[in-house]
Parts: sequence; C-alpha cells; structure tokens
Amino acid sequence: MKIEEVFRTINQMKVDHVIERYAVGGAVAATFYLEPVSTLDVDIFIELHTATGSLLVSLDPIFGYLRERGYKMEGEHIVISGWPVQFVPPTSPLIEQALNHATEVDVEGATVSIFTAEHLAAIALQTGRAKDKARLLQFLESRTLEMTQFEKIVKRHGLTEKWQRFQQQFLRDPTS
Amino acid sequence: MSFNLEQMLREKRALRDRLAARPIAEKLRMLDALRERTLTIHIARSPKTNAIRDEPPDLGKHHPTS
Repeated sequence: MKIEEVFRTINQMKVDHVIERYAVGGAVAATFYLEPVSTLDVDIFIELHTATGSLLVSLDPIFGYLRERGYKMEGEHIVISGWPVQFVPPTSPLIEQALNHATEVDVEGATVSIFTAEHLAAIALQTGRAKDKARLLQFLESRTLEMTQFEKIVKRHGLTEKWQRFQQQFLRDPTS
Repeated sequence: MSFNLEQMLREKRALRDRLAARPIAEKLRMLDALRERTLTIHIARSPKTNAIRDEPPDLGKHHPTS
C-alpha cells in the first residue's frame, strides 16, 4: 500500500492524455497542509470534456485505461496500490475554481497537483458534514489559511451565511 | 494524580503542529500506515471474518462424564 504510487499512476494518465487537468482533494490533499488523518479513499478531481456528439461526460476512458493495466474496480472506486481512488468531475463552481487554482507540490521527485488550503477549507464549509467541520477547524487552528483569500472564496460562492453560522457555533469566545 | 486539562490541550496542539510540519513524504507514509490500521480493525470487526472464532465446545457429545 503506497499512496505515492497513486500519484505516479495519475501523472502517467496525464502524460498518456487520458486526463487533462486534475487535482487531489479531500483528506489526502488536507494532509499536505495539516497533520495526517485516517481516510478511506483518495479523491481525484478531474476536468472532463463531453465526447463529440454527446451531452454526457463519461469516466469510461479512465476506467478502461486502468482496467487494461490490471487495476480492479471496487464499487465506484478503482483500486491503485491498495488505495480506493475515486475520480470526481467538478460538481459545483467552487470545485471548478479549486481545480483551476490547484497548486503543484513536489513529492520525492513527482509533481502532485492539489487544491489550495483556502479552497479545501471553503469546500469543507460548503459540504458541511461533521468531518468537514472538523477539517475546517483544523485549518483555522493551524493558521494555515490566508484568511483574506479564504473569505474572498466564501463570498464569491455564496457561503457567507454558512461561514457566519460556523463562526458563531465554533469560534465564539464562550466567555464573551 | 492531577489533570491539568489546559496543559494537556496545549501539548496535543503542539503534537499536531509537529506532525503537520513533518515532510510531506513522511506524512504520506503515515497516511498509508493509518489506512492499513483502519483496514485491520475493519476486518477484525467484520462479522464475516473467521480470524477469531469463539464457539463453545460441544459438551453434550464429548463430555467425558456423559
């Protein structure tokens, strides 16, 4: 089990023109900024184009490429080096923006494209499950966020009210 | 024994900061290890597993006094 092997495989897919732009999101991307937290899968966000004459986007070329190379499907994931990997097309303008602004990081000679900390925090705010709120708190406590940039993203994607509620719920000084 | 909650929280915070500051390659190896641990726990908890069987012996058939 080696997550770096996942990155190598994804980069090879890019070289082979199976995917174009990609970025790692979720808990794995958060690990680049925060302490590691156990996660079950790797989320790879990818830019998808509709096939000629079709209105639907398809992940078939990706799965076909990986199946040909012996990788196995497990539900909606494909297993690479023991890691279930999920390919996710952008499902919101926020994810699209995160993909456009992804940053590249060197991991022992391999370049990995990941979401910025500010986009990961905004996505966590938007998604809003308990584990997302915990991740947002981790980002805030670790002071890794460029707050002006984060608040700009929050405003642009209509998350201001959610951000205010979050602050009231988790960041209010209990003594005040 | 006394507990100083504030100190404990400070130490936890410091540990998390130290972990976050580790080189990324090391943190990714930690992710691999965490996932392996999670899988081990998951398999051990699964009702389908035959790793641990705790069935009582069949005393009715093999009890020496019967």
